[in-house]
Amino acid sequence: MTKDYSVELALIEGNPPLRELDDLIAAPIDTRPSHKYNIALAITGGLLLIGAICVGLTFYYGIGMWGNNIPVAWAFDITNFVFWVGIGHAGTLISAILYLLRQQWRTGIARFAEAMTIFAVICAGLFPIIHTGRPWLAGYLIPYPNQHGIWPNFISPLVWDVFAVSTYLTVSLVFWYVGLIPDFATLRDRATNKIKKTIYSVFSLGWRHSNRHWKHYEKVYMILAGLATPLVLSVHTVVSWDFAVAVLPGWHSTIFPPYFVAGAIFSGFAMVSTVLIFVRKVFDMEHIITMDHLEKMNKIILLTGSMVGYAYIIEWFMSWYSGTPFELFTTLNRAFGPYGWAYWIMVSCNVFFPQLFWFKKIRRSIPVTLVIVILVNVGMWFERFVIIVSSLSRDFLPSSWHYFTPTLVDFGILFGSFGLFFTLILLFAKSLPVISISEIKGVLQGAQPSHHGDEHDA
Amino acid sequence: MSEVKNIHQPKADNQTEDKSKTEKLDTNYWRSFKDLFRDTSLIEASNHEFGDGVKDDFEPSKLSGISRRKFLALVGASAALAGAGCSDYRSKGDIIPYNKMPEEITVGKANYYASTSTACSHGCGVLIKTREGRPIKVDGNPDHPVSKGKTCAKCQASILSLYDPERLKFPMRKSRNGGFLKSTWQHVDDEIINALNKIGNKQIAFVSQRIISPTGKKVLDDFVKQYPNTKIYSYELFDEQIRNSAWQKCYGINKFPLISWDKAKVILGLETDFLGTDGNKVETSRLYTQGREVNNLKKFNRLYVAESTLSVTGMNSDYRFRLRPDAQFEFVMCLLNEINKNGISVPGSLPLGGYSLKSFAGKYSLSLKNLKQLVKDLASAKGESVIYAGRTLPENVHIAVNLLNEALGNTALYRTDSIDVDVLPLLKHEEIKELVNDMNAGNVGMIIHYDSNPVFHFPDDLGYKDALKKVPVVVSITGSQNDSSELGNYTLPLSHDFESWGDAKTRTGFYSFQQPVIDPIFSTRQKEAILLTWLKGKPVVFDEMVYHKYLMNNWQNNLYPTFNTKMTFTEFWNAGLHDGIAILEEEPDSFGSFNSSALSELQNAVKASSKYIVVLRESYQAGDGKFLNNGWLLELPHPVSKITWDNYAAVSHNTAKDLGIKSNDMIAIRVGDRKLEIPAFIQPGTADKTITIELGFGRKVVGIVGTGVGFNANVLRSKSAGISPWIYLANNVSKSGSSYHLVATMEHHMFGEALTKDAAQKRKIIQEGTVKEYQKDAHFLNTENPVKMESLYNPHEYPGVKWGMAVDLNKCVGCGDCVVACNAENNIPIVGKDQVAVSREMQWLRVDRYYSGSIDDPVTSNQIMLCQQCDNAPCENVCPVAATTHSPDGLNQMIYNRCVGTRYCSNNCPYKVRRFNFFNYRDHFKDNYQQSHLLSLVYNPEVTVRSRGVMEKCTFCIQRIMEARSNAIEEHRPLKGSDVRTACQDACNTEAIKFGDMNDKDSEFYKKYRTHELGYYVLEDVNTRPNVTYIAKLRNIESEEV
Repeated sequence: MTKDYSVELALIEGNPPLRELDDLIAAPIDTRPSHKYNIALAITGGLLLIGAICVGLTFYYGIGMWGNNIPVAWAFDITNFVFWVGIGHAGTLISAILYLLRQQWRTGIARFAEAMTIFAVICAGLFPIIHTGRPWLAGYLIPYPNQHGIWPNFISPLVWDVFAVSTYLTVSLVFWYVGLIPDFATLRDRATNKIKKTIYSVFSLGWRHSNRHWKHYEKVYMILAGLATPLVLSVHTVVSWDFAVAVLPGWHSTIFPPYFVAGAIFSGFAMVSTVLIFVRKVFDMEHIITMDHLEKMNKIILLTGSMVGYAYIIEWFMSWYSGTPFELFTTLNRAFGPYGWAYWIMVSCNVFFPQLFWFKKIRRSIPVTLVIVILVNVGMWFERFVIIVSSLSRDFLPSSWHYFTPTLVDFGILFGSFGLFFTLILLFAKSLPVISISEIKGVLQGAQPSHHGDEHDA
Repeated sequence: MSEVKNIHQPKADNQTEDKSKTEKLDTNYWRSFKDLFRDTSLIEASNHEFGDGVKDDFEPSKLSGISRRKFLALVGASAALAGAGCSDYRSKGDIIPYNKMPEEITVGKANYYASTSTACSHGCGVLIKTREGRPIKVDGNPDHPVSKGKTCAKCQASILSLYDPERLKFPMRKSRNGGFLKSTWQHVDDEIINALNKIGNKQIAFVSQRIISPTGKKVLDDFVKQYPNTKIYSYELFDEQIRNSAWQKCYGINKFPLISWDKAKVILGLETDFLGTDGNKVETSRLYTQGREVNNLKKFNRLYVAESTLSVTGMNSDYRFRLRPDAQFEFVMCLLNEINKNGISVPGSLPLGGYSLKSFAGKYSLSLKNLKQLVKDLASAKGESVIYAGRTLPENVHIAVNLLNEALGNTALYRTDSIDVDVLPLLKHEEIKELVNDMNAGNVGMIIHYDSNPVFHFPDDLGYKDALKKVPVVVSITGSQNDSSELGNYTLPLSHDFESWGDAKTRTGFYSFQQPVIDPIFSTRQKEAILLTWLKGKPVVFDEMVYHKYLMNNWQNNLYPTFNTKMTFTEFWNAGLHDGIAILEEEPDSFGSFNSSALSELQNAVKASSKYIVVLRESYQAGDGKFLNNGWLLELPHPVSKITWDNYAAVSHNTAKDLGIKSNDMIAIRVGDRKLEIPAFIQPGTADKTITIELGFGRKVVGIVGTGVGFNANVLRSKSAGISPWIYLANNVSKSGSSYHLVATMEHHMFGEALTKDAAQKRKIIQEGTVKEYQKDAHFLNTENPVKMESLYNPHEYPGVKWGMAVDLNKCVGCGDCVVACNAENNIPIVGKDQVAVSREMQWLRVDRYYSGSIDDPVTSNQIMLCQQCDNAPCENVCPVAATTHSPDGLNQMIYNRCVGTRYCSNNCPYKVRRFNFFNYRDHFKDNYQQSHLLSLVYNPEVTVRSRGVMEKCTFCIQRIMEARSNAIEEHRPLKGSDVRTACQDACNTEAIKFGDMNDKDSEFYKKYRTHELGYYVLEDVNTRPNVTYIAKLRNIESEEV
């Protein structure tokens, strides 16, 4: 079968009329929640509640409720933090970088991915606060003028983290909201309920779909995309410095920034895939979020997964090449020590399974994709666990080595963070357009001026 | 600005400038003529839109002219502050000043009082630090001839027992239903005096532990005089009776001499832990390490140890043989045979020919090469070696050892300057049986448990517990309810040592005094005062000073005259109390010549059995059980196994294989018809088929801290001794199926794992050499780093003093006394077994113990590990809130108030010496136990009590540094390194810890220790630049490599 690569594939299958798109995307917002939706919300809300109780216990009794110890002073807490920050990265990549690169296929998934970025960063942002021994003093990490003239320690990577994550959250939130303004206007125009109309009116900031509005909008969107782009690289680079700047063997490594960024995109795409596979099914959006989307994301997963695998190999090489016995021991200990099981879960989930995406059949099979992306999520959580816990549990002095065993509260907070994430996702899916109504119209067939038209040929 | 009235006159010097301005006219809108003609005053005024009274630059000096604006601002600010800032602030209680200022107290300054510790029966001299009238720390009395300013862990921890909230607070008597009721002294005194008077011809039996007070003994004598049917039974769980009786047979005296450990070149210890529990370790370890002086290699001693399981002494040995205790006799006989063959004559005519060292080595798989080396060393160090048998070994071993020492001329090392003194000799083991028989026969009318716990200490099959039921009146004088007092009728609360008067006589040459440093906290009395009150008969009026007067009287009339001093008694007495001791010219007993008739005991060859053998040892932590409610001691890691909060059965890995068990599996041990189930622990270096258990654990009646701690191995003991009262052959040992959780502060690493084997040596954490290696090349350690490492940041400057520490690993025996001293000094909380299990112990100072070599014959290395106060501290960089910073005197400071508890500093600390308050441990441990008002009194007021969520660590005793600094400032002199001694340094029996100023290049600290060629830093490659120098341990072995 020959293919004409000069013709762009249809991004939306079936070329539906514009009005139908409005109706379809606004359908979850206009209808009352279904029984299934309520059940789903009950499950995620329940998880959230468990997490809240566990956080409450931690606040009341102290970090001792967790399995953390000396030497393993960080465990699930920072693992979860890095995991969730990583999840956020796919959203920014899709919405900002792919936008600047004019990858129009991003339109169908951008809104959702951006929302996931925000929710993931919210989940992530909780952990640095709750992981402190005295969370009520966490404000000390923020530079504010005070009568003692004490400032945070600006050479500490944790302070950089505060800036990186709060900047990331702010920019993502603004970017997301700006993108939502035309859709709010559409919703406002459709709304019949007075309360809804008022709310949408407020949020649409008086948008009238005028030419001037669109001109300004496009400019702002472009600028924000430009601002968000470096964040894709910087945030996880800063997070990786938490480790790379430390002297601990297994942390003290220059490969961490690129390795972490690749890992973040890898896990982020896996999470976006996981969620979208359900969303497109539940909300009948299979023709908007198409198989092609999933396949493209699988390709990115394959690419970033291979980068991560490369980083794993380089770690082995470097630990040998560095000549320090500590590095070599840490690497060997990761694979063959007490936490070997976690290491091999990590390697198989992150390196082995994504390689199956070399096969087109697998890339385009939804059940197999779903299994692999979930495994990638598991693997990426374990990657952070392995980096943090296995390095700490056996560091320099053998006298201080100790095994870390998580407690129920640790698991409660981990599941609670998933509860928070999916609760926010569900609320989002039911209250805001999960696909950009205005942008999607722009990628319909025939919506754009053709580059293959006669006038442009000359 | 239409009004011109308020405008001030311009200053004269501005006029020229203003003139030039006025000439430059331009189009101008004028409102007045002044405007039009550019009046200078108007221009000047226009620069200050508002007059002085309304200016906003606040200046308090001009406050009188306060503006309306300022006034309103201040009113607003004060209202806001009053509303928000001064809300309900946490109540910190009331501070009440002294109504009457005590003469000797300066608030904020500590007072020190000399006294005598009775934590154990060695009676070491102590200095008790008190603050505002409450004792907070115990240290050694430097004037004391035996302890010389040092203390052991138990003595350090005894201060915690003073404030134990579970101490008895009032007298109690048993009610009809068996429970104890609160009573009054008046009431119980009356009843007991009545009972005493009605005793008739029945016996009154005192059951006491070793009595070291001559005046206390006199009180008992007085009691005997008044009640002639009284008998005093004194005992100790571990005593020297076997050694004494061997000496009786060999030298005709029921005593044994002290040993000049410092002069010995070769020491052979047989099943003895003289650096740990055998004898007065405070003195012994000091003398022993005087022979491990790295700057005096000629005097360097060599230690051989043959023992059943690894002890502190075994850890320090140069050559070690693991040997079951019933083979010790054969071992000594083989040595006798070998030195005989080497041409050294052995007195007497013993048939030594049957004892072959070679076949002995084969039988117990010992290294023949090392044994031959031992014989060679003994033969060449004639008169300069010591062979010392443990007190638990049977008599024939002691006699053989005496013979060996005699043959080698080692009697020269028996000390003649001093000898142990028994104020009241302990009763023979057989005599206890008589007491029980009398009790059973109904001949005993009253038993007085005189601060003792015989129900726990006596062998079970003696039947003391049941016999107690046949005694009509059982009175227990005790600090807290114990296994014995619970079975009695009266429990009388005993004052703590620090609330009591007394004296002590443990050695010839001096007496020591005990004085109270605090009034009795509760309605308690000291035991002598109780007896004196009873002796007065009715009506009972208690005089608080009764024993004090008695003590002074006794001294004035009986003891003071023996001193032949020119001082008046008052002077003598005050000097004695001040110094804590009174020196007396006294001749110690002399020993006769060796009596060869004792050798008949050696005629019979005693063959070692092949059955399982049970060895009972004294506990490092719980003592004889007295300290089983003391959290500091129970949490002190066992010096060898690092296990806390438990005792266990130490077995070898071969034995474990035979029994099919792992560590933590319960085993059932059957000795005779007595049975014990106890968790097993595979201890490297244990002799096969030997099971070693420490006594003192597993008390049934004990406070909440000690409840459920350990297993009572006393139940294996028997009235008819086995091989000795502490060594028994087991009928049967088997796996019992269940398991238990022993917790240790160090993980136990597999010897077989290539990944972790000898990790500490490979990583240069432990750097060691041998004496020969050092003699050949003093710089064999090669600590000079060829690569000069740089830091990203500018180096810190240390203009004044810079604190540093040096730890001489040749002297550190690994006992852990420093750990308890640090606990006491720095208000370190007890965390409990559950928290040690998850590696959250809080001790700022730990003793790391590393094994290398094989599991059967491990080489042990100890290293104390504390904050290294690095110059390039990795913890400082990463703290996000600057809660850990660097001081100009080289300390890595911890600011608790600022700490939010991210724990990043701990992660980045290569030494993992930082400790995190995972809980509020004062609340978390045993349900609020450490928040008791009483226990809070033990805290050092100079050290912050840390809240939960806060990181903490060793500060080099910053409070002591600050005190020394303020003293120096007060005295107008520069602060010197020697002004400060850390708590661990004060406690260290062997002076292994040195502390001082590294910038003082002329100090002994800098020249002798800090720059020693054997000095190294741990993890130098990380470029942390630590300020703790470790002086590498030299092993005195034949080879040049460790």
